[in-house]
Amino acid sequence: MPRLFATAALFVSILSCSENLDSSGVCSVLCPQIGGEVQNITIDAVVVDTTVPALSGLGTEPGLLLAFRGDTLDTRVVLRFDSLPTTYKPATDTTQAIISVDSAYIQLTLDTLSIKGAEPVTIEAYDVDTTANDTSTAAVLALFRPDRFISSQTFARAQLTDTLKYFISNAAVLARIQSNARLRIGLRATGPASSQMRFISTEGGFAPLMFFRATPDTATKPLTVTLFSKTPAAESIVATHLTDYTVIAKGPPPAPPSVLALGGLPPRRVYILFNIPSMIIDSSTVVRATLLLNQLPNTTIDPTDTVLVLPQVVLAGKAVTDPAKAAQIIGGISIDTLKLKPGGSGSTNVELASAFTLWHTQQPDTLPRAIVLKSVTEGNSPLEIRFSSSEDVAALRPRLRISYTSKVPLGLP
Amino acid sequence: MIRKPYFVATALLTISFASRSEAQGALSLQGLGYPAGGLSARAEGTGGGVADFDALSSVSPAALAGVGSSALFLQYSPEFRRVTTPSGSANTTTARFPLIEGVLPVGQSWTLGLSSSTFLDRSSETNLKRTQVVGAPTDTVTLTERNKVLGAIDDLRLALAWSTSPVFRIGVGAHVFAGSNRITFSQLFPDSAEFISSAQAGRISYAGFAGSLGVEWHPSRVIGFALSGRKGGDLRAQSGDTAIGSGRLPDHYSGSVTFDGIPGVIVSARAAHDNWSSLNSLSSSGIQAFDGWDTGAGVEASGPRILQRIITLRAGARFRTLPFGFNGQKVSEKTFAAGFGAPLTRDRAAVDVAIQRASRSAGSDISERGFILSIGLRVSP
Repeated sequence: MPRLFATAALFVSILSCSENLDSSGVCSVLCPQIGGEVQNITIDAVVVDTTVPALSGLGTEPGLLLAFRGDTLDTRVVLRFDSLPTTYKPATDTTQAIISVDSAYIQLTLDTLSIKGAEPVTIEAYDVDTTANDTSTAAVLALFRPDRFISSQTFARAQLTDTLKYFISNAAVLARIQSNARLRIGLRATGPASSQMRFISTEGGFAPLMFFRATPDTATKPLTVTLFSKTPAAESIVATHLTDYTVIAKGPPPAPPSVLALGGLPPRRVYILFNIPSMIIDSSTVVRATLLLNQLPNTTIDPTDTVLVLPQVVLAGKAVTDPAKAAQIIGGISIDTLKLKPGGSGSTNVELASAFTLWHTQQPDTLPRAIVLKSVTEGNSPLEIRFSSSEDVAALRPRLRISYTSKVPLGLP
Repeated sequence: MIRKPYFVATALLTISFASRSEAQGALSLQGLGYPAGGLSARAEGTGGGVADFDALSSVSPAALAGVGSSALFLQYSPEFRRVTTPSGSANTTTARFPLIEGVLPVGQSWTLGLSSSTFLDRSSETNLKRTQVVGAPTDTVTLTERNKVLGAIDDLRLALAWSTSPVFRIGVGAHVFAGSNRITFSQLFPDSAEFISSAQAGRISYAGFAGSLGVEWHPSRVIGFALSGRKGGDLRAQSGDTAIGSGRLPDHYSGSVTFDGIPGVIVSARAAHDNWSSLNSLSSSGIQAFDGWDTGAGVEASGPRILQRIITLRAGARFRTLPFGFNGQKVSEKTFAAGFGAPLTRDRAAVDVAIQRASRSAGSDISERGFILSIGLRVSP
C-alpha cells in the first residue's frame, strides 16, 4: 500500500511539473484592465508628397509590354543580339563557318494572364539597329518603317502560350552573321483589334533567346543566341538593362502635376514624407497607422482592372534629398497589397503599421519617415492609380490616422 | 508639392494613464502574491499545529535544536487550483518548491540552520479580451491583454538554536528577503497586417531584512509550548536601478502548544498573527493588505507498521486570512489537511506527504478551491 501511494504521489508530482498559470476563464471578473485605452488621432503629417519615376532607367522593368491599343496605347519591344556566332560544329565534322541559317526563331516567355484581346495578333519584326544614343527611344521608334521590316507572324489567341516561338527571317539573321553585324530586333503588334501582352524580360528572370540551325542536318544541335548589348560600351550595367526593353510609342495621358499617380507608362511611384510627432513614435506604442488617401478616377485605360498597390518604406538616409532617388532605395514592410481599380474613387486606406515598427527603432536622420506607393506590376502595365495630393482641398489631402496606447508601467500591483 | 510641416490634429491628442500591472486571476494571488507559509509537509499535514516545534519548518529558530542530526530537506508543493466566478471558471497548476533547508548540529548544544522558503508567490498569467476601437470609429477589434508574472519573494534564513535539555530551547534567526517578479505584458491584435501587437517586459527586484526569535518550553513530557516572533525591517522594491517602492516586512508572532498525553499521539494547535498591512505602501494601485490571524490544529499519530516501518498519520485544519484583499474585502482561507510520514533507509531519510484542500473566499460570489500536494524529503547524510 505505501508503495502504491508513493507511486501515485510521484505520478501526480511529475504531472504537476507542467505548470499552467492561465486564469483566462475568470478574467472578466478577476483580471483588471492593464493597458490604457487606444487613442486614435488623425493628423496632417505629410511634409512632401510627389510623383516620381518608378524605374532607374530604360530596360530595368521585369517585363516587356507589347501593346497595340489604337490611340490609347502603343508599346514596342526591343531585343539586342549584338553578338552572333559565326561558326558551328556539325555533329560529325570539325568547326565550320556558318553559311546558312534555318528555322531561326526567338523564344519568348509570355505571361498569359497579361493577354488582352481575343482576336489574332500579328507581331512584326523590324531592324532597329542604329548608332543613335542608346536611350533615345525616338530614334528607335523611327526605325519601325517598311524598309526596316524583317518578318511577321500572326498568332491566334489559342497560339499565345507561355512559351512563344516567334520565327524570324533566316536571311536577315544570316546577313548579320556574314557581315559580322549586330542584330537588334524591334517587335510591334498589329491586328484587326486591340491586343496587349507581356513577355518576361532578362530582369524578370526569363530572357528571350534566339535559336537557329546552321545546317539542315537535324543531327546537329541548333545554335542558341543569348541577348547581349555592346553599348553603351563603358556602362556594363546599363548595357545589360538594354539587352531587352520596352519602348513606349504612345502612352496614356499623364496625370496632372497636382495629382499623385502610381503605375502607368512610363511607370511612376508616389513618394510621401511625414513629420510625425516624436512623442507618438518614441513614447507610445503605435498599434495601427493608416494613410488616408482620396482616390481620383482614371478612366483612360482599363478602369475596371485591378492594380495591386504595395506600400514600401524609404530606406534612403537624410543625405538623399531628391525624392526621385530616395524612392529607389526602399524596403518591403508588408506582403499585403492594396487592390484598387483605376476608375475607382473615394477614400482609400493604406496600412502602415509595419513602417512605424521600423521607425520606432531608428532616428529620423537615419531613417526618414517616408514611404513609397508603387504598383506591383510597375513597368508592365499601363494602369495608373491617382490620388489627391496635399495641394488639393483640405478634406481630400493625404492624412495619417494613428492609433496608439501609452506604455504600461510594469511595476508593483 | 513640397509643403511646410503642417499639423492639424483632428482628434485631441490625449495622454492615457494606464493602470499598473496587477495580474491576478485568483483570490489568492492578489497584491504581491500568495504566502506559502514556510511550513514543512509535516506541519501542513497537522494544520500548522506543530509548526513552531518543527525543525523543518522555517517558522521558529528554536525548533532547530530538536533536529538531532544534520539534515537536508527539500519540499515540492504543486497546487491545483480552480477559481469559479458567475461568468466562468479557470483551472490552474502552480508548481512550487516552497522550502529547502539544511540543518547542522554544532557541538552538544548548538544547531545551525540555513533555509530558503517562499514568502509571497506572485506567479500568474491572465488573458483579458476587450473590444477596442482602433482606427475609424467603426473599426472595432478584440484586443487581448496577456499579462504573465513569474517569481516570488523568498525568505532566506540563517538561524542558530541552543538547547542543553529537552525542556528548553531557544533560537535566533537572521532573514534576508529577496526575489523578483518578471512581468511580461502583451497586447495582441488579431490581424498582423493591420495592427501591431506589442510586448513589454519588466522585472521588479525586492530586498529586505528581518530578525526572528523563538523559544520552546516543555514543562513536562506531555505538554509543550512554543513562541516565536519575527521583526520585519524595510522591504524595498526596485526596477532596474530605480527604486519604485518600499514598505515594512510584516511582523509575525506565533504560539503553539502540543499535548503528548496519549501514547503515540501528538495533538497540537497554533495561532499566529501577521501584520501584512505594513506592505500597503508597496502597492501602486491601492490594493489593501490586511493584518490577519493564522490558526490551526492537528493530530499526529503513529499508524500501522508497514514494511517494518512505522507510518505516521496526520490530519489537521487551518484557517487564516490571506494578506491581500479583493475589492476591499479580506480573503480568507480554510484548509483541511491529511498526510503521512515514513522513515526510509534506516531512518537516514524520511518522506512526508500532505494533501491540503483549501477553500478561499472574499465575501463575494467568487469561490476558489485548491488541492496542494506537498512532498518533503529529509535526508540525513
